[in-house]
Amino acid sequence: MTAHNAVNVTLQHEQDAILGRVTPGKKWFLVSLLLVSFLTPVLIFFVNGMNYYLHMLLTTFMYIALASSWNMIGGFTGYTSLGHNVFLAIGGYFSGLIFAELGISPFITAPLAGLIAGALGLAFGLISLRTRGPAFIISTIAMVLLLKLTFDRWDLIGGTGGMSLPFLKVPSMYTKVPFYYGMLLLAIGAVYLSYRIRHSKFGLGLRAISQDEVKAEVAGIPTNRYKILAFAASALFVGSVGARYGYYLTYLRPNIFLTVIVGAQLVLMSVLGGKGTVSGPIVGAVLFIGINEFFVASLGSSELNIVATGVLLAIVLLFFPAGIVGSLKEADRLPSIFDWD
Amino acid sequence: MTDMALIIQLLFIGVSLGGVYALMGSGLTIVFGVMRIVNIAHAALMMVASYVTYFAYIRIGMDPILSIFLTIPLMYFVGVITYKVFFSRLSKGIRYGELTVLLTFSIALIVEGLLGYFFTNTYRSTSPTYSTSAFLFGELFLPKGQFYATILSIVLIAALWAFLRYTRIGNAIRATMQNPTAAQVVGVNIEKASVVAFGIGLALGGAAGSLSTYMFPFYPGKHWEWIGILLSLIVLGGMGSLLGALVGAMLLAVTATFVSHYFGPTWSAVTFFLALFLILLFRPEGLFGKKMEVK
Repeated sequence: MTAHNAVNVTLQHEQDAILGRVTPGKKWFLVSLLLVSFLTPVLIFFVNGMNYYLHMLLTTFMYIALASSWNMIGGFTGYTSLGHNVFLAIGGYFSGLIFAELGISPFITAPLAGLIAGALGLAFGLISLRTRGPAFIISTIAMVLLLKLTFDRWDLIGGTGGMSLPFLKVPSMYTKVPFYYGMLLLAIGAVYLSYRIRHSKFGLGLRAISQDEVKAEVAGIPTNRYKILAFAASALFVGSVGARYGYYLTYLRPNIFLTVIVGAQLVLMSVLGGKGTVSGPIVGAVLFIGINEFFVASLGSSELNIVATGVLLAIVLLFFPAGIVGSLKEADRLPSIFDWD
Repeated sequence: MTDMALIIQLLFIGVSLGGVYALMGSGLTIVFGVMRIVNIAHAALMMVASYVTYFAYIRIGMDPILSIFLTIPLMYFVGVITYKVFFSRLSKGIRYGELTVLLTFSIALIVEGLLGYFFTNTYRSTSPTYSTSAFLFGELFLPKGQFYATILSIVLIAALWAFLRYTRIGNAIRATMQNPTAAQVVGVNIEKASVVAFGIGLALGGAAGSLSTYMFPFYPGKHWEWIGILLSLIVLGGMGSLLGALVGAMLLAVTATFVSHYFGPTWSAVTFFLALFLILLFRPEGLFGKKMEVK
């Protein structure tokens, strides 16, 4: 039996175990969660000030999509990218530019923005994934700095001043609704892709890479191709989110998308929730939104927000490197509705 | 100005910037050499020294060059504390390299946020008299402030080299850089060597932070630009190599000066990031270093 067959067999075992674990309870939980998510906007007809809650929810969906995407390379594959906001910027500017020049709505071009980001991820991965460990992390920071310098000086897209996009022309009561559904769909898409990768031969290969790349290579896993594909997959939804997020903000500026803190927050969410797990980034994103909202409301300062991000990241890294979901799972205390691995 | 004179002039400026870059990078390279930690927070902590120097200059008129006697011990102390809090209990497991990068990254965020909170995001700089005057040689000029800073930087780097070469703890640090396991076997106290090296690394950064106040205006977020520059030059020189930091700094500073003259100053920063990218891809071990891959 060759090594590759051994991998296949392990996979089969694992899949059986997993399929057995999707209990009816988990299924109902998922269905009701989706149902509630899809029906929530109806409340705008009954509740005043619903726009605030829709804003919070759509931001949460956005972060879930971003963190789940980051997790594909940072969690499953074990290659920490501190520069994933680059794809957010690419998506945002791509769709924004088309909107400004041709008038085609970012809602239509968002999937295309995702593909562009994915293609760029593929290209960047081809070059950058030749390095490993700290060298890779540094190269992702270099990617952000390089793109920011370029965008700051690029007149077509407005340089540092950025560009403004027209508002969505609907009554103010409904403005959040299209974005709400847009982000919800992206979150579902990213989580579903992440789940499918986690339970595929591809995902198993990625996990082997994150454990020991040399051994994975020896076992017959095409590590290079897998890593690069994982990087491209992780850029896909980030690009689409960028397209919708830019339209939601109605302005694009390098300072919004391309500061290092944005990239750091993507990492923080996954690490906080538990990187390498399917539900970790979701838990992390929800918690992050809560914490962020608390800090902005009570401290009201973006500087202290940066401090809080740093402190939180350090605490999690030092004391719970497996994150919430990972630590609970190790202790066998994870509620089964969060266990999708 | 003739072509030849122009080239010599640009070389002057490049080399006189290179010394300060080398001083900034030497702290980073020592820390990596001993502990295999890529200290992303190096430039952020350097900013702390810059602010101390700035306020000493504004409040009591202390000369920025003299204030290195303040910032060197201060940053040594900060380095020891930082090491004790964040790194002393960390085990060198499979994810050590990655974990430490993320940890220093979070330290950088904390420092940046605190500086921004207390001192706002306005640009600051000191302006001692030598910062605006120059030595003149015929049609050539050499800015005095940069010249002093570079001379001092080279003196400090030489002092570091002598310290590593001729003192007991210096030898322990060098042994740890070469082979931590073997060093431990022959009785080197690795923990002590690490603390001292981390302190020294930041102390050098502190001196550089003081000297840079009158050459490069700064604000809290500026450290990201600096760390990009510093990483590029020590990666070029070879991480962990002191000579590499010096050579890398000179090469890149001179290149950036030429780029700045011929393509405009805004593109000089691109030189560094592009160089960093290319070196990581084609020669990750740099000119004088070992491979950076850490398991």
